[in-house]
Amino acid sequence: MSDKFKPAISAGEIAPGGMKKVELEGHEIVICNCDGAYYAIQRRCGHMNAPLELGTLDGKFVTCAMHCAQFDVTTGQALSGPVPADVGNESPPPRLAAFLQHVATLMKDVRTESLRTYETKVKAGWVHVAT
Amino acid sequence: METESRKEALHYFFDKVVGPLGFKFTPDVGLRDFLLEQEVMLEGKHGIPFCPCQPLRHDRARDMQIVCPCIPYHRKHFDAIKRCWCGLFVHKDVVDPDSLPQLSPKDVGLE
Repeated sequence: MSDKFKPAISAGEIAPGGMKKVELEGHEIVICNCDGAYYAIQRRCGHMNAPLELGTLDGKFVTCAMHCAQFDVTTGQALSGPVPADVGNESPPPRLAAFLQHVATLMKDVRTESLRTYETKVKAGWVHVAT
Repeated sequence: METESRKEALHYFFDKVVGPLGFKFTPDVGLRDFLLEQEVMLEGKHGIPFCPCQPLRHDRARDMQIVCPCIPYHRKHFDAIKRCWCGLFVHKDVVDPDSLPQLSPKDVGLE
């Protein structure tokens, strides 16, 4: 029986609190180093698909750089949706206002989904991920 | 979103903010859980965990001053009463939060 775990990245390549993207057998994955424990999550944010490695990892919580949706990397669970943008107190020009209204209508039904997670193990200095 | 997980996350992030300000979570675990739960509900509604004990005015600049933990925006007041307005956070030396009354800025001579 073949080992379902595949070597993804050298453990030394990710500092504690760091993240790195890898592509493994067609899966876009982000490997997170949570103080020496490695977790693997889908690369795309569960809100609007932004690449999560561009966000920030604090403890076991990753915050997406695009709209600040947060997830628990140990479970993949979505913890919060997007933070509302500051559009200021001044009224935007009519065309921009119409566009923002259109975007708001589309965004209203966008849900923040939990992330897929992947099993990991460290073997011979490499983080292995099961896809 | 699952409330308990979000409460855990808010606890983690808030703890890092309030510690350097000289505050800690109230030792009253029941009150802490209740207030965090209210904040999770407010965040679900507004996208931001506002203070559950202060009114929203729908003026962004003013409302941003009651995003939890709002200690930096009310520092003199909260230092004077050794707690935040809700009582979610208390000064680090406080062991009996029930002994701290909820006094307004006027009550402590700040207005």
